[in-house]
Amino acid sequence: MEKYFDINYLWTALPQLLPFLWITLFVAALAVIFGSLLGLILAVFKLSKNKFLRFLANSYITVMRCTPSIVLLFLVYYGIPAFADHFLGIYLQDVHTGVFVVITFSLQFAAMMAEVIRSAYLAVDKGQYEAAVSVGLTPFQAYRRIIFPQAIVFALPNFGNGLIAVLQEGALAYTIGFIDIVGKANLIIANNYNTHALEIYIALAVFYWVFSIAIAKFFGKLEKVFSKGQSSLKTS
Amino acid sequence: MNSSFINTEFLIDTFFVALSGVPIALLVTAVALAIALPIGFFLALSRINEIPVLNGFTKVYVSFVRGTPLIIQIFVLYSILPLILAGIFERYEIDFPIYEVNPLWYAFVIFSFNTAAILVEVFRSALKTVNAGQLEAAYSVGLTTSQAYRRIIIPQMLVSTMPNLCTATINLIKATSLGYAISLQEITLKAKVAANVGYNYLEAYIDIFIVYLILCITVEYLFKVFEKRLSRYKAVATA
Repeated sequence: MEKYFDINYLWTALPQLLPFLWITLFVAALAVIFGSLLGLILAVFKLSKNKFLRFLANSYITVMRCTPSIVLLFLVYYGIPAFADHFLGIYLQDVHTGVFVVITFSLQFAAMMAEVIRSAYLAVDKGQYEAAVSVGLTPFQAYRRIIFPQAIVFALPNFGNGLIAVLQEGALAYTIGFIDIVGKANLIIANNYNTHALEIYIALAVFYWVFSIAIAKFFGKLEKVFSKGQSSLKTS
Repeated sequence: MNSSFINTEFLIDTFFVALSGVPIALLVTAVALAIALPIGFFLALSRINEIPVLNGFTKVYVSFVRGTPLIIQIFVLYSILPLILAGIFERYEIDFPIYEVNPLWYAFVIFSFNTAAILVEVFRSALKTVNAGQLEAAYSVGLTTSQAYRRIIIPQMLVSTMPNLCTATINLIKATSLGYAISLQEITLKAKVAANVGYNYLEAYIDIFIVYLILCITVEYLFKVFEKRLSRYKAVATA
């Protein structure tokens, strides 16, 4: 009789699984890029004096916080093509599922980043901007050279946490038929008539675990590097 | 294909189908919190007091739960639990239909497992906000450790726990949407099954979306009210 649990089975499954790791990471990276851009816009809205813009950003963030990833994923996956088809007359049914995955997690990441960017911006002392302008920098220069480098130190830990979150939420992409590492794992399991599922799932857990720890460690180091400059500024 | 963008009739009907999944989602949330709160608290204490074996175990446990997606945790636990239980029952020759267990029981175990680890970190950071002198002061007036915690430490800790506990609860409610993976009859699965008949998936997911939105905003509001009451106590205590 075949064993229920056979860890050696992994040596045959891993080579099939590993190439799809890059797809998982690639999608997460795209979501981080687009999400950060949208998050920046939302943060500007949140900080603006215009009541309507603030309301808009706040409602967006509340809605995102209250929506499970899987629900958002399906809303985007079914909603956008239906909307485009009906109102704009554009046919989107053939668009690659990866596009919808990236859209979903960008939308979600943007809500996280809006809060991160806002709190980092507020953490920088107002006097810094005034001082920069008073020595003749233009507002743009002041932001780029004075505010931004300081704000980034405050934002780093939360940004790292957001990165881990978006990588993990991405594990749900398989539900709309996207073949990333989880999707491929489920395909392998289905091909084996549902045997050895546990071994594959444990391998997946280890992948994510390793990457999460690596990201956390990396941002911990990065934070140290950046805040070193800050403390030397204070003492001088 | 169809003439209107959204099938309004289906949208309204399915809203109530989705709503009928709310009790299960809330039951799982409540049970998971009830189990995870004490476990999370004691593991947080063992982390802070650096109790030898428990501290190391908790570190790994928390790191695993925070480092892996919940859906993967569900996959792993849902395939490992029946295997372990079947082994135990076989050994002691207990005749129990292990593969016909209500998924609700698995949901309780899985979501408690996940939430307890999250709460360890919540309680740990909250315990750190309480000044160490408070415990010493409590000892010096003759309170026992359990009295000191119950009357001095925990009430102060609660105030700073509330926002994080609220986030954890919201995340837990959202996480129950993954119950589909163990065929738990909650909000998402119920509406999805209703949509299977006529492929009205968009309408079904709009309904699910609205239900979670109402649920989460309500919970957030309740936490805010409770937090206000707690901080009023804090103001009295410090005065």
